[in-house]
Amino acid sequence: MKSKTGKKLLSLLAITGLSVTLLGACASDVPPAANIDTKSATEDAAETTGTESSKVIKFGVIAPLTGAHAEYGQGFDAATQIAAEEINAAGGVNGYTIELECQDSAADAKTSSDIFTRYGEDDSIMAVIGDFTSSCCKANAPLADEYGLVQISPTASDPSYASMNDYCYTVMYNQSTAAPWTAESVVGHYLGKTACAVMYLNTDWGITTNDYLLQGIDKAGIKLLGDESYSENETDFSSVIEKLKATGADCLVILDQGNVPTIINQVRAADWDCQIVSLGPGASDQILELCGENANGLVIPCPSYITEDNPTTSDFYKKFFEKNKCAPTDHALCAYTCVQVLAKALESIDGEITREKIKDALKDVQYDGMAGHTQFNEDGGVNRDLLIIQVVDGTYVIQKEYGYK
Amino acid sequence: MTSAYFISQLMNGLCLGAIYALIALGVAVIIGIVGFATFTQGEVVMMGAYISFYVFLYGGNHVIPGILGSFIATWVLGMIIYKICYARFLDAPEHISLICTIGFSMLLKNIALIFFGADKKPMLNVIKSINYHFGPITVSNVQLLILGTVLILVLILSFVFTKTDWGIRLKAVSQNREAAALIGIDVEKTAMIGNSIGCALAGAAGTLIGIYYQSCYPTMGATLSMKAFTSATLGGLTSVPFAALGGILIGIIENIGIAFSSASFRDMFSFGFLILMLIFKPTGFARKRSVRA
Repeated sequence: MKSKTGKKLLSLLAITGLSVTLLGACASDVPPAANIDTKSATEDAAETTGTESSKVIKFGVIAPLTGAHAEYGQGFDAATQIAAEEINAAGGVNGYTIELECQDSAADAKTSSDIFTRYGEDDSIMAVIGDFTSSCCKANAPLADEYGLVQISPTASDPSYASMNDYCYTVMYNQSTAAPWTAESVVGHYLGKTACAVMYLNTDWGITTNDYLLQGIDKAGIKLLGDESYSENETDFSSVIEKLKATGADCLVILDQGNVPTIINQVRAADWDCQIVSLGPGASDQILELCGENANGLVIPCPSYITEDNPTTSDFYKKFFEKNKCAPTDHALCAYTCVQVLAKALESIDGEITREKIKDALKDVQYDGMAGHTQFNEDGGVNRDLLIIQVVDGTYVIQKEYGYK
Repeated sequence: MTSAYFISQLMNGLCLGAIYALIALGVAVIIGIVGFATFTQGEVVMMGAYISFYVFLYGGNHVIPGILGSFIATWVLGMIIYKICYARFLDAPEHISLICTIGFSMLLKNIALIFFGADKKPMLNVIKSINYHFGPITVSNVQLLILGTVLILVLILSFVFTKTDWGIRLKAVSQNREAAALIGIDVEKTAMIGNSIGCALAGAAGTLIGIYYQSCYPTMGATLSMKAFTSATLGGLTSVPFAALGGILIGIIENIGIAFSSASFRDMFSFGFLILMLIFKPTGFARKRSVRA
């Protein structure tokens, strides 16, 4: 009787697994599920152009395709594919075509490290693009060193990440400069506030960014009325909001990405008519969609603003929209830049391409693209100016250009 | 800390607790009637929210059709869950169906990711938010709706399960299936109805939660499900009113804890309270330990 039950259970599990696989296979035009490999179109292109397998350079991509940061992870996937397709369409790099393999970390450090280990042990992977959060990137940093495999993150902005070893790079602006600038130039000068409250995500990124922001707040002489953290899986922010509202603050700085729309809605639902500034989400479409009128007035320090009208970004915007059915954010643009920067590094390598040579070549790369000039500093990070963007009548408007102090 | 602030946090806790209670009601009904624990409730809540999202998208922002749509769809989902996770394992050790519900919840989450996408869907302005001020207390119409729904459901379910023949038949199945069959009750059909009632309540809860948080997404049920199960455990697992009380207490304890410390410790307060409660009173708020025949 028991063995019959066991067989039935096994059959059930097998059917369940098969169903998920078939459903995944059927849904070609929908976002991929957890841990499903998403091969890029470039892979097929490389195979069909008759190129020899030895003339393919493969990069691993780690992105949160699911979970709270899925919007950004799916943006990584689409933007890296666009960059690879453009490079391959232009004849590749030194005769090599670029191939990508993208896997889902769900912004979980352990999952991210498992994926990085798989890439590290796969000799065909020559560099890794990702992950989204600084926490995941920092967890992977020792593995990058162990496997001698470059990890170039589009978005890791924790200043302690890129300096962890020679294999760690990031193309995102650094919070050690961006967070104090947000306090002094955005909250202080642009908004003219003399006091504010802060709520931040309790992760490596959030804690570090909060530390730098508080330094800036102190330096600018702004009074800090409250500073509250919350965990990553939080859904109800009412108690934190009530706590900060009770301080009498008329300006709230939110340090987060994926939770920002939920927080804005709950701030407005609590009848708290404060000025909201958010460092982290960029000019995200999801904020406008999920917040509606609640988003009006929101101020976001942002390293770029990609629109269909801008001739520099128009082509990328259209390609990205076609792939991802939403407008790209700066995070996606940074993922695109990562592939372009790696291609530049490949161009400068003589002879056989190795992981070690890519690491060395990246130090001297200079790339001018839609995200401005990219050149790595000694630590493997980059410094970028930011725009001040505000939501006015449901759309983003650039209020201050690069260089505002 | 002023008393006004303290009362506001109590009110926030009550409203959050009402959300936990709303899901815990379904958990208590399922355990009470089917006799097995379930870990699919969070995902059923999520499915309910998505169903109503599409009802609102294509049919306009009307609450009643949204709740009805999610109630009916998750009722059917409850039948499927019963057939897959319970029907074949009624005489098997309890952990078999428990593991099966965990597997099925993952399946539902992945189906949602594939078909609905990972991004959050907006459920804006389904009910125009109006805040009412009672002295230092501010409460919205949506919060009052959730609180009222919990209260009404507790009264209705308690009446049905204790005062009607049909409800007593449902309870009889969970207490002794063989004896219930001997007096002519269709055990399998009755248990399936019980599971569907629990799931449909979760589906309707999903609609209200989606309206309250103004969005739905595939992973929205994960944390809520754990809190709902904790609430039902505090209530003795099978008692509807005590499950609701458990949910409300957890919400209040979390918010009062946050008022004195940080939101990063939210789970520490709720699960810490559960552990303490189980150490000193293993039956939860119920007088007797729940029994499954």
